[in-house]
Amino acid sequence: MSAFVSSRQHILDNIRSATEGVSAGPDRAAAYAALSRSYTHQGQLRPKACVKLIIERLREYDAEVTEATPAELPAAIQARLAASGRHSFVVPPGVPDEWLAAGVDWKIDRGLATAEIEEAEGVLTACSCAVADSGTIVLHHSESEGRRVLSLLPDWHLIVLRASQVVETLPEYFNRFQEPPELITWISGPSATADIEMTRIKGVHGPRFLNVILVHDESASTKESEPKPAKTRSAKLR
Amino acid sequence: MSQSASAHPELDPRKALPFPKAVLPVLRNPQLRKNVAHAIDVIQAKRARLVAEKTDWQALREAASAIRTHALDNLGAYLEQFEERCTAAGGTVHWAAEADEARRIILDILREEKATEVIKIKTMTSAEIQLNPYLEANGVAPFETDLAEIILQLGELEPSHIVVPALHVNRSQVREIFARRMGLKELSDDPKELTNAARAFLRQKFLSIPTAISGANFLIAETGAVSVVESEGNGRMCLTLPRAMITIAGIEKVLPRFQDLEVMLQLLARSATGERMNPYTSLWTGVTHGDGPERFHVILLDNGRSSILNKSKERQTLKCIRCAACMNTCPVYRQTGGHAYGSVYPGPIGAILTPQLMQMQHAQSLPFASSLCGACYEVCPVKINIPEVLLELRGQVVNQERKQKLRFFDPMYIGLRIANWLFAEAWRFHAAQWCGRIGLKLFTAKDGWIHSLPSVGGKWTQTRDLRGLPKESFHEWWSKRAPNKEAQ
Repeated sequence: MSAFVSSRQHILDNIRSATEGVSAGPDRAAAYAALSRSYTHQGQLRPKACVKLIIERLREYDAEVTEATPAELPAAIQARLAASGRHSFVVPPGVPDEWLAAGVDWKIDRGLATAEIEEAEGVLTACSCAVADSGTIVLHHSESEGRRVLSLLPDWHLIVLRASQVVETLPEYFNRFQEPPELITWISGPSATADIEMTRIKGVHGPRFLNVILVHDESASTKESEPKPAKTRSAKLR
Repeated sequence: MSQSASAHPELDPRKALPFPKAVLPVLRNPQLRKNVAHAIDVIQAKRARLVAEKTDWQALREAASAIRTHALDNLGAYLEQFEERCTAAGGTVHWAAEADEARRIILDILREEKATEVIKIKTMTSAEIQLNPYLEANGVAPFETDLAEIILQLGELEPSHIVVPALHVNRSQVREIFARRMGLKELSDDPKELTNAARAFLRQKFLSIPTAISGANFLIAETGAVSVVESEGNGRMCLTLPRAMITIAGIEKVLPRFQDLEVMLQLLARSATGERMNPYTSLWTGVTHGDGPERFHVILLDNGRSSILNKSKERQTLKCIRCAACMNTCPVYRQTGGHAYGSVYPGPIGAILTPQLMQMQHAQSLPFASSLCGACYEVCPVKINIPEVLLELRGQVVNQERKQKLRFFDPMYIGLRIANWLFAEAWRFHAAQWCGRIGLKLFTAKDGWIHSLPSVGGKWTQTRDLRGLPKESFHEWWSKRAPNKEAQ
């Protein structure tokens, strides 16, 4: 144990003496605030164009994207499940009941064993945000997005993304979620590799099939008034 | 000799041959060079296209450079903050001054977990401390889970790149390795089929091995969170399924705030693989009840880093976010691949990082393995002026050599000392020119060129001709001409 303490002290002492002339010391926060950040923070696209862009980007990643109005959503989910030819699905506990289409087998994750999740042929979740510029869908693993393992083991992932959740640039995402979530997964297309001769192969360990239903809820709520997901676990800030 | 060197390159800088010697087997291996050039051309083209579409690329680089510099300037405070927040979130933070200490800490944790097997996400830091051989020797079997790393582990090969470590291996070589080690005789060399074989091979390991080791792309001081950037989902498996999780990270990996990722994530994937964003980026904060590992350890590794920090020109080396854009663009790396660098960190960044991590006691040939063309600086997303550091390190290496007793008898140093003496006085210089003209006449052909020289001079004429000395020097010509000019 003493070796551990002394290594910590040793490293920190070395760092302190090495940075003596450059460290901002107690003015660290001010020095940080003064850093130049002249990159694009706010995108230029109107919400409609932004939604069009994310659909385009997701399709470039070989994700299947369909669109629906809020009223059509349950039917759209049912259609996608039927078209997948799969029958057993897992779902996080926080998704609305009307998403659980009839005709397939649902397992709600109230502490499912890993083996049970592994057996499922697909998973249906909500998400927290999407970034159009890079075609990225963001999960904060709230009650409606599920534990991390839930959207990982099944081979087929269907995500319900509301248009009001789409931002254009990555900085807009960070601006929207200023309270850092405890767990995040940024997903940009299905699992992939290019390790063999730089040939892009879809699907290594994560879900091989990424599916998105884009719900046009723009009229219901604008980007600015978008409420934060209620049950996202935030990292504690002190 | 050259055959065995190419099959098992030495990546321990303490034992590796100097670059000019280590490179020879590679240069004689056309298949390897073809594989490397192909992979690099593909990444380069993708990167160039995606960087061009980003209108604020230079502003992002500026910001990234400023954030990384600020993080290093205040490294002590940010590391302490990270430690405090990570601990508060249920993680355990360890500090390791040397590679040896990091290995022991990891083994102690694995013993406490009663682990005989461990799954691993690709981590260059673990390769840096040569963790796998150590674990094997101590009764723990490490399983690499990144596709490239499995190819290397099963094929008993060494990494040659920090992002796509198996880029020097082609599909038929992968097929051969998988067929032999996984017992799949019918396997074809279709990358899709090979990838599926790896998926099947690892699935059971993910589901059954309860301990994992990862590296870290970023540590967030503000929240104590750790972030890992990957493509395949093997990372997500290792971060989510095991009961215990160990992350090893260099002390320089820390970012002040969560929001800094908005800059880094935009730069990293575009620079590394030529994607707008890599398929999966994970971030976790200590231990989350009911989701993922129950026990989480972070090992903060120094291993020579803090000694780089106090040198004004060299410290920028630590800004690196390991995207590998510098090696992809480097004309030297393109010809040699990674093995000749004798380090797990090849290419331009390896040429400056490796000798410094070795406290300039090993790998001194690496700062010279560059044409100083500056392409690495141009593509670096955090604006590390690699040529500047290369020159600084070259100066240090020469100073080291000058102090060595042996150098007194080295023909090159004798030559330089003589030149120093000759050039110090004009009359000596003129006399030397006169002697040279007479002496070299013997070797100058009718066409005015010297095609072959004896002894040390032969090293030059082996590969190129040398123009013979002219009958008259500029100085002589000028002094003949000058009085006439004044008379006019």
